[in-house]
Amino acid sequence: MSNNIEEEITKMVSEILEVPVEQLNPDVDFFKDLDVDSLKAIEIVAAFEKMYRIIVPEEDIPKIHNLGQLVEYTKNKTS
Amino acid sequence: MIWDLNKIKSALPHREPFLFINEVIAIEGSEKIVAVKHIKGDEDYFRGHFPGKPIMPGVLIIEAMAQASVILYSVDRPHIAKAHPDYYLGKVKAEFLAPVLPGDRVVIESNKVKFLDNAAITDASATVNDQIVAKANLVFSIQLK
Repeated sequence: MSNNIEEEITKMVSEILEVPVEQLNPDVDFFKDLDVDSLKAIEIVAAFEKMYRIIVPEEDIPKIHNLGQLVEYTKNKTS
Repeated sequence: MIWDLNKIKSALPHREPFLFINEVIAIEGSEKIVAVKHIKGDEDYFRGHFPGKPIMPGVLIIEAMAQASVILYSVDRPHIAKAHPDYYLGKVKAEFLAPVLPGDRVVIESNKVKFLDNAAITDASATVNDQIVAKANLVFSIQLK
């Protein structure tokens, strides 16, 4: 399950950011390293919400800076 | 009619000839809006698109869907809309299914996908005589001046 979540999220982020999966390690910073702006951020959030049927409160978004944090957030919300 | 032109102009920065919403006929909370654009036939763009065969450019149908989406956003986030921010369309995934012609009454529906303080996503469609003529997923940013 954990691996599935990690793989699903990595694939989803890879497609939205058009960055190869190989370049997306859990610590790569969305904003500093991948130049994620408000448009890309909301695309990730919307895709994430659709995938896991979770509403992400706006105040949670700035706390998620990388894939590792997003995977952790998902595990907490889906457990 | 729920919103007349004056109220529409209070939510949108656009003005003629680039205002593509004539009236708002339904709003469901901040989830969905239904608006109308009447295509009169004397719009300037018909002179060139195309001579002798007027068809509303698809990009302008997208613009109408974007403007309806901005109105919906202003309903959802009145505190931001009140500050008259800049709205920038950033990404569009669209399909065009039938032409829009002079005399058409285009019904534009926009549905909220996700709204944040600095960005928004909507799914929108444009319908003429109950036939969907275009649909689009719109991603736009909102920047306070």
